[in-house]
Amino acid sequence: MKEGNAISRRKFMIMTGLACAAVVSSSSIGSLLKPAVAEGAKKPEKENINDVLKKFFGDRKIEMSHVKLKTPIIAENGAVVPVTIISDLPMEKDNYVKKIYIFVDENYHPFTASAELSPANGKAALALRIKMRKTSNVRAILETNTGKLYGAQKAVKVTIGGCGG
Amino acid sequence: MHRKLMKMAICFSLLLFPLLAVKTVDAGSSDTIKEYEPNCTYEEYEKIYLDFYGNSTNEMAEEGNPADLMVDDGKDLYNTVEGTKGKSCASCHGKDGEKLVGVATKYPKYDPAIKGINTIALQINRCREKQMGAKPLKYESYDQLALELYVKSLSNGMPINVSIDGPARKFYEKGKKFYYTRMGQWNFSCALCHVKYACKRVRTNLMSPNRHHADHWPSYRLKWAKAGSIQRRFRGCMKNMRAKPLPYQSEEYRNLELFLTYQSNGLPIQVPGMRM
Amino acid sequence: MPKGIGKIKIRVPRKIKKGDVIPVKALITHPMETGFRKDKKTKKRIPAYYINDVNVYYGDELISRMEWTIAVSANPFMTFYLKADKAAPLKIVWKDIKGGKYEKTIQINPQ
Repeated sequence: MKEGNAISRRKFMIMTGLACAAVVSSSSIGSLLKPAVAEGAKKPEKENINDVLKKFFGDRKIEMSHVKLKTPIIAENGAVVPVTIISDLPMEKDNYVKKIYIFVDENYHPFTASAELSPANGKAALALRIKMRKTSNVRAILETNTGKLYGAQKAVKVTIGGCGG
Repeated sequence: MHRKLMKMAICFSLLLFPLLAVKTVDAGSSDTIKEYEPNCTYEEYEKIYLDFYGNSTNEMAEEGNPADLMVDDGKDLYNTVEGTKGKSCASCHGKDGEKLVGVATKYPKYDPAIKGINTIALQINRCREKQMGAKPLKYESYDQLALELYVKSLSNGMPINVSIDGPARKFYEKGKKFYYTRMGQWNFSCALCHVKYACKRVRTNLMSPNRHHADHWPSYRLKWAKAGSIQRRFRGCMKNMRAKPLPYQSEEYRNLELFLTYQSNGLPIQVPGMRM
Repeated sequence: MPKGIGKIKIRVPRKIKKGDVIPVKALITHPMETGFRKDKKTKKRIPAYYINDVNVYYGDELISRMEWTIAVSANPFMTFYLKADKAAPLKIVWKDIKGGKYEKTIQINPQ
């Protein structure tokens, strides 16, 4: 190690390291290393599905029958997932399904949509295309005019694409 | 002392060089392309696709494709008088597009006036400027896409029949060369995924062979939540490959569009498509 | 208002017999922005903009009412059912959070 004007190896490594860190953190190269989370809106608090169901239905029992829920097993794109709900429950003047609810467990806000129906609809059924944040259960809950609750749920996988998605 | 600093500077820049490398498209040196053997047939691809994803996207396309509504808007635009010459598309091409039925099956095609490959999107703007004295429509704008959709829809169900004879041949070969050119940070080429490794996966995406690639554009894509042209898809693919995308209606993209459309010769036009 | 919002297509079966329970398929173009996306160019947050209310009228009667959230897909497509027991107009009205109102009416003619 020469004395005088020569920089010691240790000093050089520290300087280089600091310089690299400065370049990486300030340039666009740095942004490649940051996790890809959209800045802007702060990520919302994720509501727990059980809290949400309690808010909507309290402690009322939901019977898992009389409701058929059709979903794809794997959603090609989580932004558009076709969901079909069909029930054999009657739609008569004094005995009909008055509301259908759709929930997606893993969305930040699981409540997705609801539809109030009347006997004029003739059938307790609804199909809708919904967004899913990630692999999750999708739930359909039907409420009759007498306050009885029926439901069904299905697991839908949402994949991460490499090139198409 | 200076020599030591020089050596350090050279080492330093060599370390950083890969990060700063410019992503350019390398045209390649050899003129003959060694084509790949397709890894699977389209039928094999479709079976794997349906087994994995089911038929949801096709069912959604049949039930209700949002791009269908754009076709109607395209028809309205077709009948709208625009520009300094007081004409609409209908003035030359007939009521309800009657003179344009079947025309889309021949595009893209060689046009001596531009000494290159003409596409429908490009022709729409050329017609507007020359014949109508109207402003060209920005590529990928709602109106451009709506018009392209309308013109192509007039040939729905008719078999694609593009020619690569005569002067078109040279451009077809250029398009094929581009298809096989390695590019981007990962050194991929279109042919690598869509011919050599067709039916293999990139994460969960299944790579499709290119037989049907050109027959359904403009297409609605769930990812875009709107309709887009085949060239928008080219740009997206190149971005996915970490290569720099080229401008709309650039020569490379027009040649590529000819090459791909030729692969779909014989298949019926089916617009608008609906894909993931 | 940018182009292409509020275009509507409603489909019902061609042949309807009186008393049939028929599917009604309705599509409307709308971005259904969640408010969580960032514009790639400006880096600014794209504000929420979505349909939150759908009303279905058969004749004079409001037969169905829906509440939609940001979790309904862009360019929403829905299917519901209708007991076609009278010749009457079927009107669907969609409302978004910016006060946009879109509607379309088709005639139901059971034979």
